[in-house]
This record gives sequence, C-alpha cells and structure tokens, in this order.
Amino acid sequence: MRRRLSWLAVLFVTVGALAVGASRDGGPLDPGDRIDAISRRIACPVCDGESVYESRNPASEAIRSAVREGVRAGGLTDDEVIAEVADAYGAQVLLLPRATGLDALAWALPVTAAVVALAGLASAFRRWREAAVQSGEATDDDRRLVERLRAERDGDGSGGSR
Amino acid sequence: MRAGAARLGASLAAVLAVGLLIVLVRADPDAGSTAQTTLLDQPAPAVTGTLEDGSTFELSRRRGSWVVLNFFTSTCVPCQREHPELVAFDQEQAGLGSLGAELHTIVQHDDREAVERFFAENGGDWPVVFDDEFRFQNAFGVAQVPETWIVDPTGTVRGRVIGEVTAEFLSTTIQRLREAL
Repeated sequence: MRRRLSWLAVLFVTVGALAVGASRDGGPLDPGDRIDAISRRIACPVCDGESVYESRNPASEAIRSAVREGVRAGGLTDDEVIAEVADAYGAQVLLLPRATGLDALAWALPVTAAVVALAGLASAFRRWREAAVQSGEATDDDRRLVERLRAERDGDGSGGSR
Repeated sequence: MRAGAARLGASLAAVLAVGLLIVLVRADPDAGSTAQTTLLDQPAPAVTGTLEDGSTFELSRRRGSWVVLNFFTSTCVPCQREHPELVAFDQEQAGLGSLGAELHTIVQHDDREAVERFFAENGGDWPVVFDDEFRFQNAFGVAQVPETWIVDPTGTVRGRVIGEVTAEFLSTTIQRLREAL
C-alpha cells in the first residue's frame, strides 16, 4: 500500500512539473526578443549544428531577415513564422522536429523506447521476485531430504553427542 | 501465460523493428539537399528585386514566358564553373525567338561592382537582379548557390536544380516541359 502511494506521489509530481513547464508563459515581450527567440529555434541550413541566431552565414542572415519581416508584419505566431521558413527551406531547418509525419518519429521513438524499457524492467523485477519467493519455499525433494536426515539422526541418536 | 506475454512482446518489438527498417530504407538520405520543394507545381512567389539600372524586377510580370532563375554569387566557384553553360543556354534560347526561355541571374550577398565585372569578363547579357532584401532567397528557400529554378509561362514553378547545371540539361528539361504543357 505504502509503495503504491509512493508511486502515485512520483506520478503526481512528474505530471505536475510537465504541466507547469508546458503552460508557463516565459515568452519574450518585445519584437527584438521574439526575433532572437525564433532565430534560436531555426537551424542554419548550411552549417553544422548552429542556429540561425548564432550563425554568420549569408543564408542565416537571409532567414533572420525573413523572421524579422514575419514578426514585424504582426499577426503571426512564433510557430507560424517558423513554419513559413520551414516551408521554403525545408524541415531540416527546424531545430525542434515537427510532431507530424516522419519527423514525429523523433518524438515518438524515445517515448516508445522508454515505455518498452520500463515495461521490460517491471516484468524482470516481477520475475525475479517470484523466483526469489519460490526459492524460499521447501520443495518435495527438500522435504524428503529432511525426513531422511531426521530418520538417520533418530536411528543412531541415542548414543550420539554434539 | 508468461510465455504468451513474452511472445507478444517479442512480436511487437519485431514489428516495430521491421517498421523502422522500412522507414529508414525508404527515407531519402539527400532529402535535405535535393530538388524537393513545396513550390513545385505551385504558383511562383510574387517577389521583387532590383535590376542593374535600379529599376524594380517583378517576377509576376514575366508571365507568358519560360523563366529561368539562376541564383548566383560572383565569388562562388561552382557558379563561375557553371557560367559558360549559362551563356551557351542563353544563346541557344535566343535562337528560338519568342519561344525561348528568359534567363535571369539572382544575385545574393554580393557586391554590385564585382558582379558587373564578372559579367563583363565572362560574358552574359541577360538581366541581373540584385536580391538585396533576400526576397527571392527566402521565397524560394535558397540556402546555397548555384541553384536554378524553372517557371513556366503560367507562372508555375516547374523545376529546381541544386548545384551546377549544364546548357543541355536546361534545354532538354524545358523542351520536355514545353511538350507536356
């Protein structure tokens, strides 16, 4: 019972932390901050692992310009500005993969692997516990052995000493 | 019961592994650098640039002609290597009269004088459009030069070539597209 409560507490804290993290409004306030924040979410299309915000490559300069225009035009969310850039340059400029199509595998596979690993661990723990419990119980062979030893002891027990 | 669960787990893992393998085998490793584009068979973006004389070039006003846009920088070595092919292509298309395709160079991140000097030294008298505000680059998603796009007379994007092109490739591609239109 106590163990179940512990697991429930862990689950509650995890879900709560995820909910707070997902809903927290830590967004930038002015257009300059928005442009920087969006640029940090877009990969330079010709660099190796750099965001458009960091890169000095001409292609990144052009994309920063597109982001600037998208933000200053107003009416577009950050995701919509990024989607416009990704439509033109391809999904490889997304530092965070999309949650649809083939890109969704990037999100789904780690979760699937974690679930499978947890299920495997739970199954293994259960098997080990059952094996441990079973190994603690006397088998028929054990009982026969004990009976035989007792009989032997009782048979020459009168003159025996420890 | 336990054996059944184990078999089910193994079957699921096998299905997952096979599915992943199929996805990986079918995935195009060069998908990020090939001519795949969402603009294909879509209206070309209505973008503008600045011509050498300072006037505005509007892509949408080129409807009625086959238009070839070649994204270029004078310091880019593949662009320099490609240039004689473009000169040959332009001359060949000029020979077709009004049916011939229009070639336009879209200059990215380059100095005007350097571009003018390059054309003076290497030939080519087709319109040169300076994309100073990155409108062409961002609309077409051109990350690296050279890159060439083909737009048909209805203003629809028909082709994209990443990297160097040859005169023969451009001519045969446009001819094939003409016949299919």
